[in-house]
Amino acid sequence: MSESKAISHRLDDVLKEIEGVRYTRQSKTRIRVDLDADALPTLLELLQGRAGYVHLSAITCVDWIDADQFELIYHVWSYEDKALVSAHIRISRDPGRYVSVYDIYTPAAFFERDIHEMFGVYFEGAPDMEKFILTEWDGPPPMRKEFDTERYVNETFAWQEYNPEWLREISAQGGGIAVKPSEGAL
Amino acid sequence: MKGNKVIPIETHERVPARQRTNPWAKVFDPFMDFCRSRSLFLLHYCTGCGAVELPPTVTSRFDVERLGIQPMVTPRQADILLVTGYVATKTLKRILLSYEQMQAPKYVIGICSCTVNGGMYWQSYATVKKLNEYLPVDVYIAGCMPRPEAVLHGLQQLMEDIKTGRANAWQDYFNRYDHYLGNQQALFGDRWQTPTDIIGEARHYGLLGEQTLGEHTALLERIKQPLEVPTAGVFSPHSETRET
Repeated sequence: MSESKAISHRLDDVLKEIEGVRYTRQSKTRIRVDLDADALPTLLELLQGRAGYVHLSAITCVDWIDADQFELIYHVWSYEDKALVSAHIRISRDPGRYVSVYDIYTPAAFFERDIHEMFGVYFEGAPDMEKFILTEWDGPPPMRKEFDTERYVNETFAWQEYNPEWLREISAQGGGIAVKPSEGAL
Repeated sequence: MKGNKVIPIETHERVPARQRTNPWAKVFDPFMDFCRSRSLFLLHYCTGCGAVELPPTVTSRFDVERLGIQPMVTPRQADILLVTGYVATKTLKRILLSYEQMQAPKYVIGICSCTVNGGMYWQSYATVKKLNEYLPVDVYIAGCMPRPEAVLHGLQQLMEDIKTGRANAWQDYFNRYDHYLGNQQALFGDRWQTPTDIIGEARHYGLLGEQTLGEHTALLERIKQPLEVPTAGVFSPHSETRET
């Protein structure tokens, strides 16, 4: 008990160390931290080195197109605290560049590569910014808000006819249902 | 399934059967069709979530083997290509490679709403909406996802079609190759090519139709590159064994 208290004190100490950090404890296991983009690498280094948050679970990207900003959320987990710290930062949408945290958390390479592919955010210092999953996609980053998926789909793909002749024939004999509920189970 | 007349599912205009001059063909062709319909091998290409309905279909609960249908491991030995679920643009390339490797006569079954019209991924930039734009489909089984009963019904329908000589969609791929290739090129770009020589096969089967060759196949001929052959400097297990 006293040990776990000591650990959460360590987290508080780290969070107080950096200026301009606002944090709220949403529950025992979730802490939301908002801070400036410049301060994030320092925070992550302290969280990993001093507070035991050794596991980077994910990096989330949110496109706030009206505010002209990308929100990057770094989720780090502590096996001792059993708590998740989510550090929220906002970066400008226009150049869409940020520093990589690959040197602090190695798994960041995958998350950053994925975000680069889906949102077009470039991470300086990341080991690989090549295509990741969408290797055969050469359009704009598809998760950006200005990419109109529906329009793209309508332009690219043809739709099946909704009520073709052959389907009417099948519906006439019960919609293709082999066994009607009234006839009981198989 | 009593009281349900099996109706062929028409996805396009049927190709007239080849003219047979041998009088015995009238006897043996229906017999061959019957035998063929009772011995089918499934290649389940598990593209999406619909694949989870196949283990119960194949194993003891619904036991598809009583219809003479068995799962098979490679496309070259399979008769039926089951496309189970959403087809991503990337996956479609692999489906086409598998499909073209299969030996005729071959049949395609599209399972789940996603293969019919995109299903719940209708808005997605990454999934193909209509499978029969890119390869001929014999039977569609709609549902999200269809239960094993529905899958069995679809398979029975296919068997019925084969028995009565109506399951000729595979001939359509050769007859109208230009149309299918055009749709593939629209999606994958002009550099799209597969290792299988479809036009040569169409000639072999005697299925070279008016629409086999066209502007799209002309483009294919222009960009076509020979398959990679291992050169002298590259390690290859075959060259190693030959030397020793």
